[in-house]
Amino acid sequence: MSSAKRKTFCGSPEHTLSRRAFLGAAAGVAAAPIAADMTQLDVLQESALAGELKKRQKHCILLWLAGGASQLETWDPKPGVETGGPFDKIKTNVPGTHISELLPKMSRRMDKTCIIRSLNTRDGGHGGGAQLMMRGRKDEPNLVYPDLGAVLAKELGRADSKVPDYVEFYSQTEGRSSARLTPGFLGARYAPVKLYEQMSPPNMSLPKSVDADDHAARAHLRDFMSRRFAAGRKSSALESHADAYARITGLMSSRDLFDIEKESKQARLRYGPSQFGQQALMARRMVEAGVPFVRVSRAWWDSHGQNFETHLELVSELDHVMSTLLDDLDERGLLKHTLVITLGEFGRTPRINASLGRDHFATAWSCSLSGCGIVGGAVYGKTDAKGEKVVDGEIGAGELFATIYEALGIKHDKEYHVGSRPIPLVNPGIKPVRDVLT
Amino acid sequence: MAANPQKLKKVKEFGRRDILMSMALVPDSPRLLAGSFDFNVYEFDFEAEKPEQPKRELKGHRSYVTGVALTESHIVTASYDRHMIWWDRESGEQTKRVRAHDKWLRGVEVSPDGKTLASVADDMVARLWDAKTGKPLHELRDHKPMTPHHYPSMLFCCAFSPDGNVLATGDKVGQVCLWDVKTGKLIKTVESPKCYTWDPRQRRHSIGGIRSLAFSPDGKTLAVGGMDQVGNIDHLGGKARFELFDWQNGKSVHDYQADKFKGLVEHMAFSPDGKWLALGGGDNGGLLIFFDLETKKEIKTEKAPMHIHEFAFSADHETLYAVGHNKIALYELKD
Repeated sequence: MSSAKRKTFCGSPEHTLSRRAFLGAAAGVAAAPIAADMTQLDVLQESALAGELKKRQKHCILLWLAGGASQLETWDPKPGVETGGPFDKIKTNVPGTHISELLPKMSRRMDKTCIIRSLNTRDGGHGGGAQLMMRGRKDEPNLVYPDLGAVLAKELGRADSKVPDYVEFYSQTEGRSSARLTPGFLGARYAPVKLYEQMSPPNMSLPKSVDADDHAARAHLRDFMSRRFAAGRKSSALESHADAYARITGLMSSRDLFDIEKESKQARLRYGPSQFGQQALMARRMVEAGVPFVRVSRAWWDSHGQNFETHLELVSELDHVMSTLLDDLDERGLLKHTLVITLGEFGRTPRINASLGRDHFATAWSCSLSGCGIVGGAVYGKTDAKGEKVVDGEIGAGELFATIYEALGIKHDKEYHVGSRPIPLVNPGIKPVRDVLT
Repeated sequence: MAANPQKLKKVKEFGRRDILMSMALVPDSPRLLAGSFDFNVYEFDFEAEKPEQPKRELKGHRSYVTGVALTESHIVTASYDRHMIWWDRESGEQTKRVRAHDKWLRGVEVSPDGKTLASVADDMVARLWDAKTGKPLHELRDHKPMTPHHYPSMLFCCAFSPDGNVLATGDKVGQVCLWDVKTGKLIKTVESPKCYTWDPRQRRHSIGGIRSLAFSPDGKTLAVGGMDQVGNIDHLGGKARFELFDWQNGKSVHDYQADKFKGLVEHMAFSPDGKWLALGGGDNGGLLIFFDLETKKEIKTEKAPMHIHEFAFSADHETLYAVGHNKIALYELKD
């Protein structure tokens, strides 16, 4: 194999794989569960080693359906009743399981996906609902809980990783503030890299006035002075300061991670022309590179008027993007280590309003879990004939989060500490839904 | 006596559990056929002792019934279930059932001579049918299946010209196609793009579309109804709107936005003398607007008791029957 022709992550000749680099990286793999920085990602091009890496780390991609998608037009169709709306249900590749006709591609992939149809989360406000469904519980007056991404960044990320632990795409503006993410008591170390206006963080490149040598010299000087200043001092702020610099340097070395142009034209076409599709491709790219958690937000599903036309647009898009993402992850051997979730702040009312819309509804709604740790084809919970209430298997946000943690190999009753106070990952007494876990 | 919109007065209102999406009046009778979101077609008799109770039900569709048309011998209905059904007018028996389109049917209209039917659907095809036999006559294709923003488009409505020679069809992104009914050839297109709101940034989806079409009695003017541009596309928050076209010359001759009413203009009808245009529709509430085509001013505006999906006038235009969200309403326009 010619090293000159080998495709590397950043494309630089320095990062082509030599025998020495391979052996060094292989040794690194033995010692570390994931790539410590982007230079090691070159090694991901080697399939055996990549396979070894992939086996080690778990990931999560959250497709955040902001504004509240209708369960009746997605995972829990009720055709033929007055609340059912005009869409029919279709068979899936799991005998006995039907989903909305708006999801024909997903109907052929339900063996990889579990549906939960019995969420009763009791908060029908955008802000409260989004916080609840991102944190798994309500904050306390003096305690802000970390959101799902922050917990997974801590649990699945690596302390010295220079790859971001937590990335969020949210390109639409509606609902962005109400669905604001927070690392809560875990601190800013686990805050997301927010990609709102573009696909990559700003200022990833050096300014023209600074070349790489100059930048390295400055970093060396800063490091030298920091160490001297820190000598004999004990301060978490100092550690955080140094850590922040290290992570920024890591991010800057990761700029190719955020460059969608590095994906083949075929891959980009496969995900389709939509912004959501391209961001889902980026999520796959990031997961493959070792990012533990990516939220791809797709706003805005808040269809108070013309619910059916809105869902015709947005569910058709979701169907294509989600099915492509699952296929792509599966083909790369990543799906069994990656949990793909579709979730929003709530569902939508069974009642159809005068604008042929559906309003906010948190009493009986659905989400999906695919891939890592999940029993594909499982359907958990049941709503009544009109979809107005849960009649079997009711769960709240806590149980869903406990299930997500367990699917990713994290004990749901694990405790953190805030000061001397133990804080479990989910509230005491909350259990995961074992029926959907492998 | 002539119909006078200024005298508009609601005379009856019946509550219902369902949403009535479409309707047709039985000529020379007090009867109305309405297509419901409960998949049924109901016949009401307004001279019956309990007019709110349907005189009969036609069961056969498997989704919302979005179009009802009457031929000499049949009731023809169209549904989101992709089918058209021919029902014997007298017996109510199904005599023909056709999978007419590959996606939702948005409506069916009958030509003025009663011999031809036109159907429109979200497969973006309009079809002409022999009204009596149900034989397909022409397939009309020019509307694009996808919006410029890569989402499925929709073909909402159609209307025959008074002489029956031209069919107009209107889609989501504001294109109107005018077709020669005899040959099935495209004659002309006109554009009313303000009916379509694409929000590229805040919510990133769309709302709107051409929801109603009507030809003036002389056939020269085409009214195109919908909703004006919307700020918040979560709701039907744009002004109710219609645009008038001198369609043969492809010219927009008037663009109206309602000051008082928001929502979709779901149905329109010209007065027999062509002097005014009636509009019905709404958002969460309902609207009825009568517009003077000479002065280009509103003659009468009325907050309807429900979002109106369709309405029709009696032969003398002195009574207006409207169906919509959970209600049927009757108005008189007697001078």
